[in-house]
Amino acid sequence: MFGSIPLGWLQLKAQKLRLVAAIMGITFAVILIFVQLEFREALFVSAVRYHTAMDYDLAMLSPKTDFMVSSKQFPRARLYQTLGFEGVESATAVYMRLVSWRNPVDPSNARNILAIGFDPAEPGFDRLLNDEQIEAIKIPDQVIFDRRGRDEYGPVRELLDAGEAVSAEINDRRVAIAGMYEVGTSFGLDGGVITSDLNFLRLLPTRKKSAIDFGLIKLEPGHDAEEVQARILKEIPQDVRLLTRKEFMAVEVQYWNKTTPIGYIFAFGAVMGLIVGLIIVYQILFADVQDHLKEYATLKAMGYTHGYLRNVVLQQAIILGVLGFLPGMGIAHLVFTKGADATRLPLEMSVGSALAVFMLTVAMCAGSGMMALRKLRSADPAEVF
Amino acid sequence: MSTDARIALEDVSYSYGKGALQKQILFDIGTRIDAGQIVILTGPSGSGKTTLLTLIGALRSAQKGSVKVLGRELLNAGEKALIEARRQIGYIFQSHNLLDSLTISQNVQMALQLGGIDGREASNRIAEVLDRVGLGEHAHKFPRELSGGQKQRAGIARALVNRPQIVLADEPTASLDKQSGRAVVELIQDLAREDGSAVILVTHDIRILDIADRILHLEDGRMKSLSEVVSEGTSRMLNLLEKHDPHSANYLATFSFALARIAYADGEVRDSERSEMRRILHEVAKLEPAEVAFIMELSMMLKRTKSGLDTRMSNPALDDIRAEHFLDSLYAIARADGIVSSEELVEIEAIAAEFGLMQNVNRAPD
Repeated sequence: MFGSIPLGWLQLKAQKLRLVAAIMGITFAVILIFVQLEFREALFVSAVRYHTAMDYDLAMLSPKTDFMVSSKQFPRARLYQTLGFEGVESATAVYMRLVSWRNPVDPSNARNILAIGFDPAEPGFDRLLNDEQIEAIKIPDQVIFDRRGRDEYGPVRELLDAGEAVSAEINDRRVAIAGMYEVGTSFGLDGGVITSDLNFLRLLPTRKKSAIDFGLIKLEPGHDAEEVQARILKEIPQDVRLLTRKEFMAVEVQYWNKTTPIGYIFAFGAVMGLIVGLIIVYQILFADVQDHLKEYATLKAMGYTHGYLRNVVLQQAIILGVLGFLPGMGIAHLVFTKGADATRLPLEMSVGSALAVFMLTVAMCAGSGMMALRKLRSADPAEVF
Repeated sequence: MSTDARIALEDVSYSYGKGALQKQILFDIGTRIDAGQIVILTGPSGSGKTTLLTLIGALRSAQKGSVKVLGRELLNAGEKALIEARRQIGYIFQSHNLLDSLTISQNVQMALQLGGIDGREASNRIAEVLDRVGLGEHAHKFPRELSGGQKQRAGIARALVNRPQIVLADEPTASLDKQSGRAVVELIQDLAREDGSAVILVTHDIRILDIADRILHLEDGRMKSLSEVVSEGTSRMLNLLEKHDPHSANYLATFSFALARIAYADGEVRDSERSEMRRILHEVAKLEPAEVAFIMELSMMLKRTKSGLDTRMSNPALDDIRAEHFLDSLYAIARADGIVSSEELVEIEAIAAEFGLMQNVNRAPD
């Protein structure tokens, strides 16, 4: 009790209603920031789901390809050229295209789905499909379905889990669903099917086998991706791009973040949250300083320094930040759990992002405190007499 | 002026504003206040007494002259020096200025922690000072739970807990009723005496003037002597009396003059005589108690003046310089009509003899 007096906290505590209002305001701001940042994060994580799931060290793509779902083709020969370089173990040709899927139980309902075709002899999808599934797609008109696709594609998951045979029409061609893999949705796509290159060309008869969308290059163990990349790029014509995993993902994220307004909107939302929080904390602290101006002037007259009072206000700012952050984080966590179920987006609060938002909140409160401090300057001790 | 005065002011002037709008508030103030002295600073509002107090209290830095507080010069002092000085001073504010969100004991602790005192010593000091001001049982209450007088006493406890060598109080009784105001002032007086602090008390409250060792009066930013203030006030009141009730004025003046002559004819007044005089004035002359007191004071003052002159060697009231001015003035009046007549000379000699100024009379008057 006779340690030094936590004046800032006692001042806040003395006005309970205002304290509760402040905490609620900050909580609201924290939720806003969390949700916006997390949606933004989910956008990026989901946008590179396939980039992450596929097995490769270097990816080849057309320079015209902005993002995965709207890929442009390039000559398959360019991919096979890389096999001649030292360190290259295998090269998987990948075909990709949005196709029209009819709901197996409600055929009047058609919806776009991403169709992926690859050479089953190559290892590019070994992480996504098991051996049995790879064998299955070698049979004509059999595909593997993404079990984490949206429900609008029909109750494929439920039917297959129940052991029933499911077939559906893709681009007016009946295919059998031979199994399921797991990737999930993103802002650009709602679901997918994977099949062999031959089956893919059956669905899209106008496509040529020699024109592929992506090439997945796997290196022999012990080779550095960037080094091999540099060597290959020096030799082959520059009509394709050759990217490392990191670069490949960065291209996709870059597209969603910069080229579409989506990334901007979420970033803007987070900034709005920050500003709302800033204003709320500023208002509360300003009113608090205003109310206590006479008391602060008294303290100055007693010999307290401006620095002491500044610490009092900053102490209040940080207390408000912490008290507002905790419930905000709790509610945001709840929102994410519900939201992840509803959207199938990878909404989850990482320790890193929680920490980042916490820092942001404290910075926000401290910033507001700094602004409120200008009022403190007017606490003139000569005025208290 | 010696340097060990708690507060020493020399030629202090202070102005607000700049350029054409500059307004001088204080003019050439000089005084010194020693340990254990209680000085009351009075004056009408706007006279500059609060400004003077803020200068002494290191709330502003002085612009001109010298303000020495505990030996520290505050002329053009920087923020750091001012803060250092403030920590040596106990403030008692007009409206207690306690921190509402702290308990009484925490409020006192705020002052204590400035001096770096904490732990057990702090708790002992706080308990002790709250006991001294009679708030021992209220230590853990909040200011809003106390009465006005109790709050002011808590403010005093806060000001005194560091045992400051200087205590400044600004209208400490302004928001209190007569009884609690008196109690608060007596408390300040007692505590200051015990601790040997120098106290400056700014007040309008004439009911508490009697606790002062010295009264400083400010008017329009200038220090005035008390006799000037009293004479001015008294003559103004007497003029008022003469204007509105000339009959009573005459009656009282004549009475006091006559009374003084008769009662003091034998050169001494005993207490029994004095109370008998009061009784007669009250019962025979049918005067009000205030009027009786007035006549008594006036006549006693005449008597005191005479006896003071008789023993002027030990009494500084009429030193040689003043005696000289006194006689010069008498001669000047006599000369006013052009010649000094013999009657006038006789009268001057008689007065000088009566007041014991004979040795001065015989020197050449010009």
